[in-house]
Amino acid sequence: MTGANRYKDIVSLQDAPHRSPRTGPPRIAIVGGGPGGLFTAWHLERLAAAPVEITIFEATGRLGGKVFTPTFTAAPVSYEAGAAEFYDYSPVDDDPLRAVVAEFGLPTVPLAGSAVYVAGRRIANLDDVADVLGPAARRELVGFDTSARGAMTPREFYLSGSDHATAPAHALERAPFAEMLAAIPSPAARRYVEMMIHSDLATESPRTSLGYGLQNYLMNDPAYMRLYRLAGGNEQLITALAQTIAAEVRLDVTITALGLGTTSGATSGATRQLALSWTSGGQSRHDEFDIVILALPIGPLAALAVHDPSLAAALRRHVAHHDHPAHYLRISMLLDRPVPQAPGHDDFLMVDAFGGACLYIETATHPTATHGVVGWLVAGAAAAELATRSDDDLAAAASAALPGPLAACRPHVLETRVHRWAGAVSGLPGGWAPLSVDRRHRPSPAHPNLFVVGDYLFDSTLNGVLDSAEHVAGWVAAELACFDIDRPYTSRGCAAGDTR
Amino acid sequence: MIVSHPESLRSLGPDVPTGLPDTAFVRHLPLPGGAMLDVLVVAADTDDEVTATETMWRAWLTEAAGSVAVAGISAPVVVPLYGCLVAWMPGRAAVVGPAARLDQLESAVATFSTREADLRDAEQRTATLLDALETDAAEAFTIDESSATRREGLAARYREAVAVSRRLALLAPAVHAPQVHPPTLASQLGERLRERTRLAERHDLAVSQAELAERVTESCGQRAADAGIAARQTALEWAIVVLLVVQTALLMVDLLARRGTP
Repeated sequence: MTGANRYKDIVSLQDAPHRSPRTGPPRIAIVGGGPGGLFTAWHLERLAAAPVEITIFEATGRLGGKVFTPTFTAAPVSYEAGAAEFYDYSPVDDDPLRAVVAEFGLPTVPLAGSAVYVAGRRIANLDDVADVLGPAARRELVGFDTSARGAMTPREFYLSGSDHATAPAHALERAPFAEMLAAIPSPAARRYVEMMIHSDLATESPRTSLGYGLQNYLMNDPAYMRLYRLAGGNEQLITALAQTIAAEVRLDVTITALGLGTTSGATSGATRQLALSWTSGGQSRHDEFDIVILALPIGPLAALAVHDPSLAAALRRHVAHHDHPAHYLRISMLLDRPVPQAPGHDDFLMVDAFGGACLYIETATHPTATHGVVGWLVAGAAAAELATRSDDDLAAAASAALPGPLAACRPHVLETRVHRWAGAVSGLPGGWAPLSVDRRHRPSPAHPNLFVVGDYLFDSTLNGVLDSAEHVAGWVAAELACFDIDRPYTSRGCAAGDTR
Repeated sequence: MIVSHPESLRSLGPDVPTGLPDTAFVRHLPLPGGAMLDVLVVAADTDDEVTATETMWRAWLTEAAGSVAVAGISAPVVVPLYGCLVAWMPGRAAVVGPAARLDQLESAVATFSTREADLRDAEQRTATLLDALETDAAEAFTIDESSATRREGLAARYREAVAVSRRLALLAPAVHAPQVHPPTLASQLGERLRERTRLAERHDLAVSQAELAERVTESCGQRAADAGIAARQTALEWAIVVLLVVQTALLMVDLLARRGTP
């Protein structure tokens, strides 16, 4: 379908004379069936004071987006193809994601690792730093660590990205991380820090903010946060969410256009509805919604056709502000035997291959494991570059890059699976002024019934997308609190003149 | 707190299992409560060398297992750690690794063992207090002549409970210390040993048990004291009654004497 035809759908909808302001429960469309969309629906159903009619549109055949735990074909062994770890902020304050996981009764497994392989040498602690990089490098790293912790306390770390972030924390977002790294005189020590954090940054150090760089360094300190995964696969969280929500889910639906609907605010005082057009199973359809929530990664959001000029301009501004694509590539290898225990029982290793990658040892500690799984997380420029290569090439490169004791696994690889997540997260560059949380989630004040949800609005993590979803759901629920089922939806349900 | 070992004794004699390198030795370290820790120190530069020593140190550790009775720790806690290996059980530990790292590992083991021994001693004292608890609780409502004699025992147990609580409170910062960052090999070993021996959980349990003992002995002691006070009050009341009777009698005598006087 061409753009002109898609636009025609909207126009014909707007011109339909029989349409009048509809009544009944508010209709909410959530575009995107990833964690953002599901969390938003889940929160909204819990927070809304009255029934809401929620429809989730997902472009692919599955829900969950980057939270994906598929199974190898050579053996019924699952692996993490996307998000491998969740962040645990509970040592500092409330952790909403941890609370959701606990509410669903999902068992968790802590993740830890401190080894970084640089030029084939393992560096797992300051003693190793002194041995491998020299005593001067050890002093420099201790100095860097002291500066890093002085620049951001665990509390500031926890509040970063929120409206409660302190002024010094905002200043960190405007400065580049490269400045602080440059304060480490030894190139070897600097490289060690870069390798330690590169896979979490998902971009190169010079291209990110001081605040984000510090967060990704300090996350290694258990006083700031801890890591965990879900026993049996992270996708269990998605399954639990999908089973819990009552929203209608439409899979394999491609949203082709967003535009204004028919209800005229000028005449009725109601907020004008938003119209969505989509294709599904070769058929084009359209419908109108009181509220539309775009829970899409920044790439698909930028590609969305919008047929109202002011709305399109607002979304363009939103995308321009947040579009700092960072890339991931997952290469998962199935072994015909359990993975040998990593020295120090680390659950993951940082390796200087692929510009700085993380290697997850997924089944090393599983008591009944008959197979082993190691999963590479390649990030940043290397991920973008490697994404163009064939799966076979990547499998060979991943096998060749296995470090230290894991090199012995090379002859035992049964199957390798590659998942490309190009532009899936945001690199958060330095030098930009963070918007308020409200402004981030409502790109156009002139269109108060359009919201966006995404991890890129916070810190590109699952915890961030939950914060985003919770914010929007709370906002929408508050606006719906005074919704009258017999009157068209207004974005100010309890507006002036309404004395309820 | 890092434990150095100035009082330690280094033994190269028959304590060292046969088959280990000549450089291997056993260090004897004094622990709280009069116990000793024997640390078998073996230098091994490669992972293969570390693995090759396993049979020897395992046999050396387990031969002492029967002599050290500790609930819940029946086998050595083994921590492989970045080219090193530490096996620990109460009273004995084996440290295997590159020669340059042995001092740090040994020091970390000694520090951990001191804390663990401290906690174990507190656990044993708490267990003794808990044994007496049921008897104390059963007699808490028995108010008789024996109440006064129970007071001394209760007071002693209360003092013991407070002493154990104090000791556990002093131990708390070390047991619940957050992980060190950036880590050192010694801090990583200490954290793993703490985690594997569930030191924090054991400490929490001992604290709650000591609190219970303190609460029960305090309340039982209070009852015993109340009984003593009540007994003294009764005696005093009787004394007052006797005095009143005597006073009344004397008054009567006085009145009768006056009536007989012209």
